[in-house]
Amino acid sequence: MYALQYMAAAFYLAAGVGTVLGLSLPAPKVLSGARWGLALGAGVQFFAFATLHRADPAPSLTDIGYVIAVMAWLAVLVTLFLLTRIRLPGFVAPVAFVGFLATFAATLGRPEVAASGDVGTKIPHAHVLLASAGLAALGIAALAGFFFLLEHGALKRRRSVARSVPMPSIEALDRVNRVTLAVGFPLLSLGVLTGALWLDARMGRYFGGSLHETWMVIAWTIYLGLVALRFAGRQSARQAAASAVAGFAFLIFAVLGAGVVS
Amino acid sequence: MKIVLLGMNHRTAPVDVRERFAVDETGSVLRKLVDRPEIAEAALISTCNRVEVIVTTENADAAQHVLYDFFGRDLGEGEGPTPGVLSEMTYLREGRQAVEHVFRVASAIDSMVVGEPQILGQVKDAYRDARDAGVCGAVLSRLFQRAFATAKRVKNETGIAQRPVSVARVAVDLAKQIFEGLEDKSALLIGAGEMIEAALVALHDHGLGERRVVNRTQANAQALADRFGGSAHALDELDRLLPGSDVVLACVGGDAPVLTRERVERSLAGRRGRPLFLIDIGVPRNVDPGVHELDSAYLYDLDDLQEVAAANEEERRRESERAERIVYEEREHFEGWMVALQAVPTIRDLRDRAESIRQGEIDRFAGRLGLDGPQVDTLEQLTRSIVNKLMHSPISRLRDENDREAGLVRLEEARVLFGLDHDEPPDETLDDDPDEESRA
Repeated sequence: MYALQYMAAAFYLAAGVGTVLGLSLPAPKVLSGARWGLALGAGVQFFAFATLHRADPAPSLTDIGYVIAVMAWLAVLVTLFLLTRIRLPGFVAPVAFVGFLATFAATLGRPEVAASGDVGTKIPHAHVLLASAGLAALGIAALAGFFFLLEHGALKRRRSVARSVPMPSIEALDRVNRVTLAVGFPLLSLGVLTGALWLDARMGRYFGGSLHETWMVIAWTIYLGLVALRFAGRQSARQAAASAVAGFAFLIFAVLGAGVVS
Repeated sequence: MKIVLLGMNHRTAPVDVRERFAVDETGSVLRKLVDRPEIAEAALISTCNRVEVIVTTENADAAQHVLYDFFGRDLGEGEGPTPGVLSEMTYLREGRQAVEHVFRVASAIDSMVVGEPQILGQVKDAYRDARDAGVCGAVLSRLFQRAFATAKRVKNETGIAQRPVSVARVAVDLAKQIFEGLEDKSALLIGAGEMIEAALVALHDHGLGERRVVNRTQANAQALADRFGGSAHALDELDRLLPGSDVVLACVGGDAPVLTRERVERSLAGRRGRPLFLIDIGVPRNVDPGVHELDSAYLYDLDDLQEVAAANEEERRRESERAERIVYEEREHFEGWMVALQAVPTIRDLRDRAESIRQGEIDRFAGRLGLDGPQVDTLEQLTRSIVNKLMHSPISRLRDENDREAGLVRLEEARVLFGLDHDEPPDETLDDDPDEESRA
């Protein structure tokens, strides 16, 4: 059942290790191979999802391991797209390792079986995919923000040239942050909207008042403010990077942590 | 065949001496050198930091005298230092030391700036000139090929050439850490002096986009702008130009900073968070140090850049220790090849000796046994096959490039064991004695 997921995880792991090796040697061919490994991992994972989706019984769309694996897969796709547009040496490594962990972790537990209400409507699928895509893009924004803060700190301390491993430029990281925020927030908004529609279809109301829903609305509102600040030109690149990291941390808590706390 | 090298470099002779020995056209002087009976092949590396002559010879002692004479008369044209002084300003390398030296030079381990990229091209030029002059044979060709391979390994396997060591290159590296590419970036140059020009050359070489020069004397700004395809502006246009600039290079005279924190802060407001890289190479400083505290401004002054350059140079020196191991390995390989090359005459003598014995025995027994044509052909095939099989193992061992010391010993032993240095034919009486085998 999990053979394809194991294979995808292996490709991700190889891509992560390849990137680290390629940068530290340095070996451009190994780096290029690592990118291909990431792309192959994403391809294999697509077939893994398709296989799981057709399984009887299929895993529930709300199964946490499954959802995290979908998010990681979408993050890999976003990264692969960004790599075609922006010079990002080393960026493959963290994405590949996250992809590996998420994909592998999804195989450890026994997945929740889909409830009968999940089947027969497109709204749950749309909610899971849109919200996951939004989270994936915002996750990439946070990752770029994290790298930006590291680079910015090194340049401000005037230690940046002493490093041995090449990193993306701060301009490239800021571009990643901007692009993924521009794409991720609308997707997240659509995810929230379809979530409300799904709730309405099941319970006859758009807002159930659960801890997860409450925190999600707060997180969405915070992101709305961050997006407004960012695109109105009221934030420096450093502030935008720090906001992306903090915003995503809050969002992850809203999606995953709030459920655990409750 | 031995390799001998005589040279002088930045460590052994001052530049006014080195420049007297520098040669532009090496072909004619090398041909003159190879005309001497002591010298078999020759090559000459002549750069601003070194002049080195590498030769192959059968007589190393005689070659040394020829090389000193060549240095003093042909390269120095009789105007160089006296022979006594010359020997103090030069270094002589022979055999494995000469091989290692050439590998070190090609790999830029021996350069004034360790890891500098130009020397490999200069060594390649020296090889090409020697080859074109017809004075570079098998040994020097192999030596240079291995030197290029060594340089490639050193570059790929160590960090000797990775970190920039000039202030201008450090500035370029920093710019690359800040910007994704320099092609679409705009530079503002405040000042038009030599320092600004040197930094601009480095940025220009890495594809910097627009260049705008502001200077108190606009004619100087115009001259620099014309050389690099930019535009010249008056110093009072600074506030207008600053918001559209990504890289600012400042080096103008004056006691007060040209770029104050307030001035830069105002310009950043119009940049929507885009980073601004400021390089202040003026003394006293032209940019208020407080600018570095602004979020999107990255200010590096001359001391910062020199500190980074010095740290990088130290790192290159550490990497050169790893490079030395590669040089050692490659020298071992080269010496193995030299042993195999020295084995060629011995192998040829061994084959000739075996063939003459085989042929002699066939002639003797074919007549004695009264063999006809086809029978002789069969005997030819049989004996040739036996000889080839017997010779295969000793010849393979003689060709072995892996163990230089053992290889030389084997060569000597082979010559003694097979009597290759004696012209007498083998003792035929032993072959004819039917009781020989039983006695043995």
